[in-house]
Amino acid sequence: MLRKRIIFALIYSDGFFMQSRNFRLQKVGNLNWLEKNYKFQNIAFSLDELVVLNATRNNKSITDFAKTIENLVNDVFIPIAAGGGIRSMEDAELLFNSGADKIVLNSILHLDPYLVKSLIKRYGSQSVVASIDYKKNNEKFEVYINDGTTKIDLELEDYLHYLEKLEVGEIYLNSIEKDGTGFGYDFDTIEKFESKIRIPLIIAGGAGNESHFMDGLKYKNVSAVATANLFNFIGDGLPKARLKLIESGENLANWNVDN
Amino acid sequence: MKIVIADYGMGNIKSIISALNYLGADNIVVSADYETLKSADKIILPGVGSFRKAMIQIRENNLDKYLEEIAVKNNKPLIGICLGMQLLGTSSTEDGFTTGLGFVNAHCIKLDNTDLKVPHVGFNQLKTDIKSKLYDGLADESDFYFTHSYKMVSEHEINQSYCHYGLDFIASFEYNNIVGVQFHPELSQKNGLRLLKNFIEKF
Repeated sequence: MLRKRIIFALIYSDGFFMQSRNFRLQKVGNLNWLEKNYKFQNIAFSLDELVVLNATRNNKSITDFAKTIENLVNDVFIPIAAGGGIRSMEDAELLFNSGADKIVLNSILHLDPYLVKSLIKRYGSQSVVASIDYKKNNEKFEVYINDGTTKIDLELEDYLHYLEKLEVGEIYLNSIEKDGTGFGYDFDTIEKFESKIRIPLIIAGGAGNESHFMDGLKYKNVSAVATANLFNFIGDGLPKARLKLIESGENLANWNVDN
Repeated sequence: MKIVIADYGMGNIKSIISALNYLGADNIVVSADYETLKSADKIILPGVGSFRKAMIQIRENNLDKYLEEIAVKNNKPLIGICLGMQLLGTSSTEDGFTTGLGFVNAHCIKLDNTDLKVPHVGFNQLKTDIKSKLYDGLADESDFYFTHSYKMVSEHEINQSYCHYGLDFIASFEYNNIVGVQFHPELSQKNGLRLLKNFIEKF
């Protein structure tokens, strides 16, 4: 049976990992901090996947970011999806060569569909994750690009349709309003759209504890639950959460083999 | 122990190298050179992306001829991972019709289940009731990480194991010294590390 996934998202900015709240960034620590407070190699053994996003606001340097990916890849035996600021084939190639297994695209999905097509032709749909940042405004579901600063003319439903036509591999659906709150996912929106998405769907924004994961995993069409909350899952928060979920019968993978 | 990763410019080689390092392999070479491949104890054929493009690059580097001589004629253990596994088959319908290496009698077609999500992404359980060295020490129905839109099928006996997603497709085969895995052992946590260790030690 295909398992559901728990994904940890690391928000990177200019050499540091950040706590994001409604897309406002707060510096937490560098790779050493992460190692010290999260014992990352151990934590990774309780995750299905890692997403690393470059949220540097000004002068995004993809080379510095790629170095960080390269350092993370050692001793982490799970897929790493990396993105943020990919604007060319060369940017994508650099991230793949630095150890990314997938790339995460956001702004160019809207700004440069031809580039997206070329990336998919070269690396395959399964290597391309489409990240969507959205906000609810009355009855409208608005889509934003450029780190949540620019609203585009398509609404979420049409945008999802457009992305499937582009043949991206997965959707990473992130609520700007729930981002970093720890109050739980935006279930109103998820409920409205999950059955319309025919490719794997990762939900993000709002998870603060394992019961939020559990609530998200209940939806048939939700393939994965993500959290970027560095504070709420500090220490062994993630391994404990996974264990609880497996004990309560959630459909998650087991890796309890001796090596 | 010398492990050579066949290099034709496609594939996430870094994750494979870090998994091999973790297992204590100390002589890992990435190369398309004939003599280097010939001197290997094990060969890994990686691959991510388009089947058609991969075959073009493999032929440009003469890897098709080298691997046939070294692995098929001279029985050097070879493992194809993900697209690398698919390339070991006879053909794929990805992006038109492309002939593969043809080392095993199996071919690749699109995962076309209308009621399931494609690509097939995530950990999935295997049916491993085959005569296997690859899964030694692993529980039945172990979880491995898949991410693919095309699947391998065969009516022939190539000592295959299956995974179920809508329909059964080939998750792995152990055809004498020629091994293929549709999933990514290097991204499959402890299960994948154990499988790679089995490949290194038992083939």
